[in-house]
Amino acid sequence: MLSEVLLRNDRETAEITQPAVVPQTSPEEQAAECRARAAIYRLLAAVFVEEVTPDLLQAIRSEALLAQLAEVGIRFDDDFTAAPDAALLEALAAEYTALFACTGGFPPVESVRLYGLFQQEPAFQVAETYRQHGFVLKKGKFATFPDQLGVELSFVAELLERAADALENGDVATQRKLEKTIKRFWAQHLGLWVRGYGRLVQRAAAHSFYREMGRFLTGFAEEEIAAMGLKVEDRDQGKLEVEKIPGKVEFNPDEPICNACVGSMAAAKGQGATVSVLHDLR
Amino acid sequence: MDMPKVTRRTFLKVSAAAGGAAAAAPRLLQAMENELGGRDYGPVTMAQRQAIPYTCHVCNIQDGAIAYVENGRIVKLEGNPEHVSTRGRLCAKGNAGMWYTYNPDRVLYPLKRVGARGEGKWKRITWEEALTEVAQRLDAALKEDPNTIMLKWGRDRTGGALIRFMHTLGSDNTMNHTSVCESSKKVGLEPTWGPDIETPDFSKTKYVLNFGSNVLEASYFHNPLSQRVTEGRIDNHMKIVTFDVRLSNTAGYSDEWIPVFPGTDGAVALAIGHVILRDDLQDSEFINTWTNVTVEELKEHYKSFTPEWAEKISGVPAATIERLAHEFATTKPATVFTYRGPAKHLYGSYNEKACMMLPILTGNVEKAGGYCLPRGMGWPQPNPKPPKPAKHAYANHHHHPLFPLASHGVSHLTPFDIFEGRTKVNVYFTYMDNPVYTNPGAQAVWGQLFKDEKLIPFFVSISTVIGEETAYADIILPDCMFLERWEPESMPNSLWPWLGIRQPIIAPLGETRETRVILRDIIHKLDPDGSRGMKQYWNFKDGEDYMRQHFDNIPGLKDVGGLDFLKKKGVWPIYGKLDSRTGKVVDKTGREIKAEYELYKKELSDSDMMGATIEPNGLIVKNGKAIGIRRNGKNYVGFPTPNRLLNVRVDEWAKYGFNPMPTFKRVPWHETMKDDELVLTTYKFNVHVQSRTASVKWLAEIVHNNPMWINPETAKKIGVKTGDLVRVESKVGYLVTKAYVTEGIHPKVVAIATGCGHWEYGRLATLKLNEKPQFGGTEDPDLKNVWWDDKGVHPNIIIPAIADPIGGSQAWYDTVVRVTKAGPNDKYGDVFGDFQKHLEAYREGLRFTYKGDLHRKMHPEMAHWPGPEQSQDQGQHS
Repeated sequence: MLSEVLLRNDRETAEITQPAVVPQTSPEEQAAECRARAAIYRLLAAVFVEEVTPDLLQAIRSEALLAQLAEVGIRFDDDFTAAPDAALLEALAAEYTALFACTGGFPPVESVRLYGLFQQEPAFQVAETYRQHGFVLKKGKFATFPDQLGVELSFVAELLERAADALENGDVATQRKLEKTIKRFWAQHLGLWVRGYGRLVQRAAAHSFYREMGRFLTGFAEEEIAAMGLKVEDRDQGKLEVEKIPGKVEFNPDEPICNACVGSMAAAKGQGATVSVLHDLR
Repeated sequence: MDMPKVTRRTFLKVSAAAGGAAAAAPRLLQAMENELGGRDYGPVTMAQRQAIPYTCHVCNIQDGAIAYVENGRIVKLEGNPEHVSTRGRLCAKGNAGMWYTYNPDRVLYPLKRVGARGEGKWKRITWEEALTEVAQRLDAALKEDPNTIMLKWGRDRTGGALIRFMHTLGSDNTMNHTSVCESSKKVGLEPTWGPDIETPDFSKTKYVLNFGSNVLEASYFHNPLSQRVTEGRIDNHMKIVTFDVRLSNTAGYSDEWIPVFPGTDGAVALAIGHVILRDDLQDSEFINTWTNVTVEELKEHYKSFTPEWAEKISGVPAATIERLAHEFATTKPATVFTYRGPAKHLYGSYNEKACMMLPILTGNVEKAGGYCLPRGMGWPQPNPKPPKPAKHAYANHHHHPLFPLASHGVSHLTPFDIFEGRTKVNVYFTYMDNPVYTNPGAQAVWGQLFKDEKLIPFFVSISTVIGEETAYADIILPDCMFLERWEPESMPNSLWPWLGIRQPIIAPLGETRETRVILRDIIHKLDPDGSRGMKQYWNFKDGEDYMRQHFDNIPGLKDVGGLDFLKKKGVWPIYGKLDSRTGKVVDKTGREIKAEYELYKKELSDSDMMGATIEPNGLIVKNGKAIGIRRNGKNYVGFPTPNRLLNVRVDEWAKYGFNPMPTFKRVPWHETMKDDELVLTTYKFNVHVQSRTASVKWLAEIVHNNPMWINPETAKKIGVKTGDLVRVESKVGYLVTKAYVTEGIHPKVVAIATGCGHWEYGRLATLKLNEKPQFGGTEDPDLKNVWWDDKGVHPNIIIPAIADPIGGSQAWYDTVVRVTKAGPNDKYGDVFGDFQKHLEAYREGLRFTYKGDLHRKMHPEMAHWPGPEQSQDQGQHS
């Protein structure tokens, strides 16, 4: 299932760049595709919305799924494949907390990623979108934000399943409407942050499970964006380093000295001042 | 028509002549005043934002404020213009308060430690799991001894919930933070006049002697008092003289800044008192009527405190002392204000007492423009209340056996009591505290304690973020931020008493819970069916229900709607309306609302006197309780002391061999300082509290590092200039920081601010933006604006824990250091503290306690004191 979707996406990507041949698929095939995509959204949602549960672990460690993931290049180390269940669950829970749920971590929350704060505009926007589509956010094992990655992915999964139902019932209008909603949701929310965020997870994770899931998230997001023909800037970027804003500043960036003594003295001695001259604001 | 030839010279002439006509012309234009607030509009939507009043809690001044909410988000905070004390003003810290709420470094779920203590490995757990584990550990501790459950708080504004929790458990082992704050100031004041703080009437005074307070920036009641300082200075032409080792912004705003050697403010105050009494400038009637001493006794007692004596100790010229004494005594009204400057020394309580004597000597007590009693309001506790524990803990926040006069505890010595086995802990709770950063010895002492699982077997932190202390916790219970919780408030921060509330502006984020709900849930877990008798004390639905139990039956407030009034207004009473032009609160006719003065002269009514008896000394007693004092044929309520007088002589101090009269003791190790030794002091920035604000973006951008202030004369001797690295070495450790050479500091002093140099507390405080693993920084576009890469250096690790033997206060400003140019192996930010040396320093400090061998040596005037055996632990244990 997984490889089918990724393969389909590969084909579609190729088709976008070489749009000469557009394969016609039947409503049944399209419905199956929607359900397959929904399954991946649900898998990723489960990975990021909360700590890995025993059931999820069992499902992911099944030979079939591991093989399918391996086919698309997702390969876990021994810390995931060879560890006993109980110890692994503990290790993954600690890793989840370190990455996503404690001071110094980077919560998978759109408001935090794009605004640096919890519960900013995206939280309210997606909550309204959910409401318009008849959803409310309920508490899982833990309460979370409407713009948490897992919740946003779950929303798309729900819409995809509705789209599949519509296709199976011959309701093409509904299916198209849902497709548009999904595209808009990607353009306004997921597309802005999940690719860069996935790269960040990949780099920061100490455990191969989250490292690979970070890769998977980025890869899947890129495929979905390409498949939907979206052009959306990754505002997250998952940058490794914080850059200083270039350009002139109205203060001496070589603080801590609050007066200009050092710069002036250095300049007087011909050593080159480090003090920026203030703009003449007149 | 010929135009007149107008040159500058001619129109100046015309102008001079036209003055009268100009004055007579109607003035239709008035300088535009800004809106005072209370309303706000979205710049995009243009819709009025929802305004919810609350009481700020970034620091502890408790300013009245309003939060504006747009689309469910807090978008702006500002002062509440209906608050008579803070009058619509909110400081930088308060304005930045919303960043706490949305801070991505917040802890939003219960966390359990999964690695070694302090290793930083956590697992998110459910509340059910957390409460179950905490309850199990409490259950085991209760079986051994309830007092093995300790709770130490940094800032408790829960309105009694923490004490209720501990008393419900039957534990007396409660600790506050006051000994690292201003406790010796409190202990210097309380036995003399009752309350633990004063309210100087700055706006109406003509003269202020300010000893060691930086009221315009940081000290207690900074916002409301600094407004009044400015009014007094501008509208009332008051003179202000500031004694401080450092040219703070308050000192800079003063008419005179007098650099004083650390810890010698008391000597200067006594010498001023000497001049006042010597030259008969005192208010004899006030002293003889309202104190427990006579003018003659005082004249005799003050004889030896000459200006020349004080000059030798303090460095303040005798002529200056003479002049200031005359100015202070002859300018009416005049007042005094003190803060940590005099109090944070080995004998800080004596210093405070000496300063307080000045308004007493001059009769400036409870006068308009004088030195006034604080005005506060209380509120009832919900019933039933748990009884006080039957068994005393070794020490608590009111009592320590070696410091029986320290009515606010000696909490900074707690680790040593635990290390040395006097206090046993099975479960340690911490709430809004961070002694690993804020206390003397810092990580070298408190870090050592918390690392040790034998000494602290189970450590529960009720916290909003992982700071230096919470990093050692076993369980973190996520607390709400102040904009998400209910709390009752009142602060005596002006002459108008008020009650206020903090109320949730938004629902708590994640799974955070407000403190009293967390405590209730723990108790309910311990006693689910009420059979242990605990649950009955935690009978409330939620925070609002608890507030109703506090507020709905207060006379006066009840009549206007109780809690519902407070929810709408944030504060009660509303005294009047803020005048936008004067910034003063006025009545309907535009007249300023006056404060009440001379509270001690309020006469008892006939009904008050019914059944009362008057003792020979004038004390009026009713039902075994002193209710007032008879003076000059009238029955007055008097001062809130047991004898209803101002106790210049504090007999209780004498019981423990301390001088009951105003006196001064020099810090012994300051007397023997070598030429190359200096005194290290610390101070607070105007945009930071002790430890909680370094992660607040706006504030961190304004101040994020703390170079060491050093006088040019001193810097020249060691060959240091601004920006150079210096090594600062005390007897317990060293640090490496940068020098800031300035005339604004006493030549024998170096000063390093607190609030910087964090190693925990989130990405912005620690500046771990570029370190691996790449947590933080990357997800926050705002952090791209972090243009600084210097987080400063925190000094507390090189400051030993020494307590005032009277007030119990940490002697923050007594540490002797050597400052040298940094060596080749010294790196900026290096800090080191030696635990054993801290332990030795602590033991050395105990030698000054009433049981210590140096006590008598320091008090030759108390030779008649029979000794500690006769005064064993008579201190109040509450």
